[in-house]
Amino acid sequence: MSDPREPAELLQAAADGDRSAWDALESRFGPRMWAVARACGLSPADAADAVQGSWLRLLQQLQSIRDPARVGGWLMTTVRHEALLLSRRERRGITSFEVVEDPDPASAVLEADGRRLLWKTVSALQEPCRTLLQLVAFDLGSQQMASRLGVPVGSVGPTRARCLEKLRTLISTQETAQ
Amino acid sequence: MINDEYFLAALRLAAGNDPIPSRVSAAARDLFRFRVPRAVTAAFSECAAIRGTRDDDGSHLVRFVAAGLTFDLEVTVGDGLIDVAGQVSPYPGEGALVDVRTPHLTLTARIAHTGHFIATGLPPGWLSVVCHRPGHAPVQTRWVRIRP
Repeated sequence: MSDPREPAELLQAAADGDRSAWDALESRFGPRMWAVARACGLSPADAADAVQGSWLRLLQQLQSIRDPARVGGWLMTTVRHEALLLSRRERRGITSFEVVEDPDPASAVLEADGRRLLWKTVSALQEPCRTLLQLVAFDLGSQQMASRLGVPVGSVGPTRARCLEKLRTLISTQETAQ
Repeated sequence: MINDEYFLAALRLAAGNDPIPSRVSAAARDLFRFRVPRAVTAAFSECAAIRGTRDDDGSHLVRFVAAGLTFDLEVTVGDGLIDVAGQVSPYPGEGALVDVRTPHLTLTARIAHTGHFIATGLPPGWLSVVCHRPGHAPVQTRWVRIRP
């Protein structure tokens, strides 16, 4: 059964040494962090590294997160930074980045309401965007996607970028309307 | 800045075909043991001179500063393991110890009167050093990733 406490309460409890609160934070946000790391193109091993590093950062920030209620967004932003750092070529030696202060507003799409809105919006898109974005979600390579969509492999990347742009526009329009 | 990764992540979550592996979740939960109550966290120093990489011998220098303490760490990577030669200054006093921590192994070292300490044979990956001083709050460095 999931812990009913709000994120800010969990954060404070974890800072006070409550291990169950830490576990609840992991249970709530770990799956999203994994999805962000993988969406950044990391292998499973590197994604695990990025997720671990983000939790270590949180552990040192338990009492200094600027907005405890938005710890979820802070974690998503942190894991994205870690993942992008890891995905760069020059990764030997010592790497780190400055601690995230404010969460990326775009990370809100990973909240439950945001995900529902996103999926609803994808389902309402016209082809080929609807199918393409659903295939993106299933991690198909460009070759397979081209074959499923009946388009040249070279057009998958540009089409994907166009569809994501359309999705972004629709989401922000709906958010503005709410 | 365009953050498509969040959109893609949300789509991946909805598809549900790449859930977080249980070992990754378990490892994250296990990290709680690295919480150091009352610890002050030392950030990278602004001093650029000591930061950077010495490519010739695989050593890396990094400095952290907080609560009146400076940590200078020289990290050497070789044979798949890392060695840390460090100095805490000013000398934190008799009875002070450092924990050189990685998620898989923590080594506790005594601090010489010069402030120097050494820890060898650590696995690469995430690393942090904690200085425990009698009568003072512990000081821990930020976690940094060491890549061979």
